[in-house]
Amino acid sequence: MFLGFEKFGRFGYVSQTKIAPLVSYLEKNQIMATRCKECGTLSFPPRADCPKCRASYFAWVPIEGKGKLVTYTEVYFAPPAFQDSTPYLLGLAELDGGMRVFAPISNEVDHKALKPGLELVLRPKHAGEGVFYQFESQ
Amino acid sequence: MSRIAIVGVGHSKFGKRNDASLRELAFEAYRGALDDAELESSAIDGSVVCSATHYDKQRSPAGVVSEYLGLSPKPTFNVEAACASSAVGLRIAWSLISSRLHDVIAVVGVQKMTELSSGEIQELMGRAGDVMWESPFGTSMPAYYAMYANAHMAKYGTTEEDMALVTVKNRKYGAKNPQAMFQKPVTVEEVLKSRPVSKPLKLFDCCANADGAACLLVTSSEKAKKITDKPVWVAGLGLASSPMSLAGRQGPLSSFEVTKNAAKSAYEMARIKPNDVDVAEVHDSFSITEILNYEDLGFARPGKGTKLLKTNETELGGRVPVNIDGGLISKGHPVGATGASQITSLVHQLRKEAGDLQVDGAKIGLAQNIGGIGMYSAVSILRA
Repeated sequence: MFLGFEKFGRFGYVSQTKIAPLVSYLEKNQIMATRCKECGTLSFPPRADCPKCRASYFAWVPIEGKGKLVTYTEVYFAPPAFQDSTPYLLGLAELDGGMRVFAPISNEVDHKALKPGLELVLRPKHAGEGVFYQFESQ
Repeated sequence: MSRIAIVGVGHSKFGKRNDASLRELAFEAYRGALDDAELESSAIDGSVVCSATHYDKQRSPAGVVSEYLGLSPKPTFNVEAACASSAVGLRIAWSLISSRLHDVIAVVGVQKMTELSSGEIQELMGRAGDVMWESPFGTSMPAYYAMYANAHMAKYGTTEEDMALVTVKNRKYGAKNPQAMFQKPVTVEEVLKSRPVSKPLKLFDCCANADGAACLLVTSSEKAKKITDKPVWVAGLGLASSPMSLAGRQGPLSSFEVTKNAAKSAYEMARIKPNDVDVAEVHDSFSITEILNYEDLGFARPGKGTKLLKTNETELGGRVPVNIDGGLISKGHPVGATGASQITSLVHQLRKEAGDLQVDGAKIGLAQNIGGIGMYSAVSILRA
């Protein structure tokens, strides 16, 4: 079955997954995580299968997306599908609550302020056909 | 525990080898290893062909490599662990021989990268990370290591000049290695002025894609003593994994837990400490990687890796010479061949055959090989 996950990102590679509804939520400007119905473990990015208790029943729950930068880079030499966007920022941040997220950082964030600990927030982002989330200033 | 030895090594010229196909590169290294051990092909009873097969035009290259080496119908198969493929190949050979399933195994590390277009290579590199959650944002191999570099810089004050010292050191030794892709020294200024790839990493902080092969002949102690009077013993092997996604990894990302874990296993198996290592080959896919490796292997305390460079401790004549064959930065990085190439250099050192680059009294050598963006790390400890 075609599930439409290839819309995730600037250029998606994976089209079929059990957590494809993430894309529909992002299209409605919602960032959703999965919560295991068995043990309550929260996962973001979403997971169909609980890493703790191995149950595969989950609910979609919104997350706030506030966090602090762990590290980052500015990409100049990119894979072909991304070359038109260079240079661009990529970052890893730790959300309040401890989950870590890898995402682009908005080019509007002050580049000189970039350092571990910088407070950022994850927000939905639409770009062409694609939809994803990116870090922006809080 | 049975003792396992390396009794022959072979190495092709690395670089843009537009004169040779994958099977021909493998042959150069295999013939070199047989000549080195003074063995006939009939003595080899199986091959482990190591390559990151997504770069090869040939699917499942073990088949064609084994055929071209004249090893059919003996067992063969591929081992893939990205950039650590042939270090993992040594681990497989160790197991095959320890279990007595086999007597003499040829570990053939090989990669043919330069017949792919730059775009094809970049597309493949873009899928080096988690293809579901990270690649869709435009990741690249250098981007991941650049993120470790920024974390190390922020935590310890490491500078771009510090990182440049790795390239300058390794290119200096690469100039003396006829098998290396780059045989010309560079200056700190040249490194700093090279174009940005993924900040803070610049072109000269990065190793290059290359073609090449390296081969190790591995056997039991009984066989080894009949074949050679200079066996090099596999004293310790460590291998560990890490989450592939960056988001799955803990801590400030100023070190590779995966290397610390692999090193711990290898040191325990070899019953040695980091200070006992006389000569080392570490994975300098990027300049920053070598600095992190000093720390993760215990050659320096966390944050003190750059000090080893500034005090020449990892130069020839220093406390623990590192990558004095030029490293990946000079030799180029034919992914599947790199692990076996590192081990080949150590074997020459431990047999006192390294000429001008010989480390006096080298008895214990350590090779460390990272796979991909740090999903795998292999540490191999050899003894004369």
